[in-house]
Amino acid sequence: MKEILLSGRKIKKIFRQGEKEVRVLDDVSLDIFKGEFTVIMGASGAGKSTLLYAFSGMDRISGGSVTYKEKEISACSENELANLRAKEFGFVFQQTHLVSNLTLFENVAVAGYVAKKEKPKAVARKAEKLLAQMQVNKAKDRLPAEVSGGEAQRAAIARAMIAEPGIIFADEPTGALNKSNSVEVLNLLSELNRAGQTILMVTHDVQAAIRGSRILYLEDGKLLDEISLDAWEPGKVRQDLPLAAPYACYGKKKREEKVSAWLSALRW
Amino acid sequence: MEYRLLVRAGVKKQKGVLMGIFLLLFLVSLSFGSILTVWRNSGNYVREEISRAGYGTITAWVSGLDDASLLIGQMEEMDAVGRTEVQQLIFSDYTILGEESDSEGQLILWEREAERYRFFTDDLSGYQAAPEQIEPETVYVSPSLVSLFGVGIGDTVSFAIARNGGTVTLTVAGFYEDPFMGSSMIGMKGFLISEEDYEDMTVRIQDVGINALARNGSMIHIFQSDESMETVAELNTALNEQTDLSRYTEFVHSAETIAGFMLILQNAFAAMLAAFVLVLLVIVLIVLSYSVSSTVETERKNTGILKSVGFSEHALQRVQLMQYGTAVLPALLLGFLFAAPAARFLMRMTLTTTGILIPTNQPWGLSVLAFLLLLAFLSASVWQKTKQIGKISPMEAIREGEASEAAQGGHWPAIKGGNLAFSIAVRQLFTGKKKYVSACMVALLLTFFASLIGRMDSWLGPDGKGMMDAFNPADHDIGVQMFGISTEEEALAVINQYTEITDTYDLAMPGVSVNGIDYTANVITDPERFHILEGRACTGDDEIVLTEFVATDLGVSIGDMVTVTGGLGQAESVVSGIYSCANDMGDNVGMSREGYLKIGADSPQIWCHHYFLADTSQKEAVTEALTAAFGGDVHVHENTWSGLNGMIAAMRLLVIFMYGIVALFILIVTVMTGTRLLGFEQRDIGIYKSLGFSNRLLRLSFAIRFALTAVIGSVTGSVLAAVLTDPLVSAVMKLAGISNFASSPSIVQILIPGLVVTLLFFLFAYAAAGKIKKTDLTVLISE
Repeated sequence: MKEILLSGRKIKKIFRQGEKEVRVLDDVSLDIFKGEFTVIMGASGAGKSTLLYAFSGMDRISGGSVTYKEKEISACSENELANLRAKEFGFVFQQTHLVSNLTLFENVAVAGYVAKKEKPKAVARKAEKLLAQMQVNKAKDRLPAEVSGGEAQRAAIARAMIAEPGIIFADEPTGALNKSNSVEVLNLLSELNRAGQTILMVTHDVQAAIRGSRILYLEDGKLLDEISLDAWEPGKVRQDLPLAAPYACYGKKKREEKVSAWLSALRW
Repeated sequence: MEYRLLVRAGVKKQKGVLMGIFLLLFLVSLSFGSILTVWRNSGNYVREEISRAGYGTITAWVSGLDDASLLIGQMEEMDAVGRTEVQQLIFSDYTILGEESDSEGQLILWEREAERYRFFTDDLSGYQAAPEQIEPETVYVSPSLVSLFGVGIGDTVSFAIARNGGTVTLTVAGFYEDPFMGSSMIGMKGFLISEEDYEDMTVRIQDVGINALARNGSMIHIFQSDESMETVAELNTALNEQTDLSRYTEFVHSAETIAGFMLILQNAFAAMLAAFVLVLLVIVLIVLSYSVSSTVETERKNTGILKSVGFSEHALQRVQLMQYGTAVLPALLLGFLFAAPAARFLMRMTLTTTGILIPTNQPWGLSVLAFLLLLAFLSASVWQKTKQIGKISPMEAIREGEASEAAQGGHWPAIKGGNLAFSIAVRQLFTGKKKYVSACMVALLLTFFASLIGRMDSWLGPDGKGMMDAFNPADHDIGVQMFGISTEEEALAVINQYTEITDTYDLAMPGVSVNGIDYTANVITDPERFHILEGRACTGDDEIVLTEFVATDLGVSIGDMVTVTGGLGQAESVVSGIYSCANDMGDNVGMSREGYLKIGADSPQIWCHHYFLADTSQKEAVTEALTAAFGGDVHVHENTWSGLNGMIAAMRLLVIFMYGIVALFILIVTVMTGTRLLGFEQRDIGIYKSLGFSNRLLRLSFAIRFALTAVIGSVTGSVLAAVLTDPLVSAVMKLAGISNFASSPSIVQILIPGLVVTLLFFLFAYAAAGKIKKTDLTVLISE
């Protein structure tokens, strides 16, 4: 029996443009299960990111409800939401959104400090470890403007991980990266999911989407369909290959074909 | 047309900043215009009123003169004297609402036809016609008695005419204007009375003989002849040499000295306010510069676009100039237009301190000149700052958008998990130093000025001790002067019932002339007690000490010989030192008892016994007991002076006004700077919020940045004030006869201005950061 972690019921998001109402999300109901890597796909303007931010409490919804671990976050106060974001939610954005005047290490550590789950010294040690795991420990004392986009996004993933959140929300995490950096970031997310981390990711990239175990398709603010995939398994580890390699082979083609066919059926 | 469109769009976008600049500049121009109005009108008015009140080139207050005509005759025979006028008066101690005055009052016989005085309306809002007559048993007083004693129409004033209950009580019927004795800064006070009361009191004084406490006297206004080329000092010397004036003189003042003294006080306060306005103007310039620079930065992309469609650098500069002109021009115009009403309000507020209602006619020429100068200066500053527009390359700006906010590498204190709000605030300060320079400078200037005023206030002290030390030749707790048959021993017996006396000396203040010019002598039994500034005390009977001002007037210095003349003769004395005593505007000399007795007569009544009490809290009880025991036979005074209350009140008013303006400026500057910073930091705030930072934590961190900035400015301002206050204030105080200004505030008093400024920055920044609540996390969403 899958455990529901995050649940949305009849979520509405309406924007007003003068007299006109634009329904960006229209009665969307959805459950996110613990340990799953859920991907939301859809055309540009379909409401993917809006749904992600509605689920994460980053944006207020116009109707319906969102519940996280049986707590209705759509009814939470600003302080309760801040507490949830600090302790339970991790975010990875398309633009890395690191604080420009904090080093990579500080960007990661500060998220651990504010969560207050561990003592500052333990948070600092963990930040070091995570940055090493993300292979950006050499750049840890540099500012975001002084590192590559890939390094910055890996640091952002480390930041999302530092407080050991219940769920990571990733909004087009590879959208601003080149191909090799994209593969590195996706591998990291796959690795995290394999270790039990729940992830909800928005993307319009098939290569990113096939990393998920469940893909949802959104169109005009409504969920049209979904498809399940087997869990993404790594291939044989080859020490001579870069970080991207371990995940680069097994079953990838089959998954790509399956997802592409599904998307074609949905007129993607 | 294109200018109008761009300016209108810019004003709409920047309305908050422009409103802030408008408010700051309005306050500056309003204050500046008001000071100009008061300063311009006060000089003329004080002189006009001195002339109207009939003060002569020299006015001598005399008593003990049975027949004034002889003395008047002697004076009018002198070539240097054109004419004289005499006003009859009675010198008498007085009590108002149970409070005894330290100085004698002068009951002046009012003569309607002389038209010397103007009368105020009952609510002191303006003037009214002089009464047909002053009703018997009523009196007209100066409005300064309102601030000194809290007197009002219908209250009574009691005058001690004779011993054993010889008191005359008059009811206050209204207020009149006297440009000299009407000021609360001057101890002696005039009371206009009816002819009937004057005659009645004169008869009573004559009837009681030696039991009289009041005495008849006159004000003799001596006008120099048109042909006379003598200086006032030379005329004074000639009067003493050629007439019997010195035998009857109580005190002598020249019209020029009176006007000078009155204007010095006005000008000293005006100078302090002008200095404050100058500080505010510098703050406005700092804020304006910061605002223009940040506008240019945030408008880089638009500037690039406008340049690419053909707008020249100068055209875009003109747009910025016009945009800021929409705040600067109306602020200056309205400030100067409202200056006269504001000055009128100020003059009415201070009427009960100054005793005169200075007109507030707008000095149009001066106002227009000041307006144009300020406008030109501010426009030049804006133009200079907008020159950065020339450095913006169109395509580069369009590509980059707003100037990159990316921080550059450096060494900063690490972010600590234990105090995140503080750590992050420190980091923001280190990486964005330039943005906080303006707030730091504002904190520095405001703290400096607040500290300067605070140091003056602490010098003055809550009971005016600083001022009294400057005015009194020597310190004491209480002074007791016995009259009639009562003796000092009897007074001592009363005092000892309340507290022990730890130390004592005697002081007399007879009139003497030095090198022919009249001064008040401070004759003391213990010359070492004088506040010596230079040289040494006049311990020998052939030595004298002078104030700096007398030494300058006489052109003598330590070691020089002077001729001192008293009632019994004259003697040569050597100037042994310079001492401090601002009484009579510094017209004092100090002598030992032995020195004085060589030239003047002794009498037990001339000596005031000064005591230091073991328990100073008993001063009031001792005063009451002595008055109860000896009535009119004793005069008790503390180390205070009735004019002091006015000065303390004026200083308190200045401090309150200044802190009010300081708070207002910090509010406007913080809101303006804070809004700009919050605008720049929307993305970072969104990131922090997405990480789980609460609004409170972010606001706290934002406010701490301003507090830290203010601390740097405040500490610098406090240090500057510590170094510069004494020399700066001494220069102003010397004009008022005070030559020993040296502030020595307590640690608390030193810290208060900086703490207040820092606290205000913190609180206002916290309030301004309320906008953080409205920061939407969707700023991070890319879709």
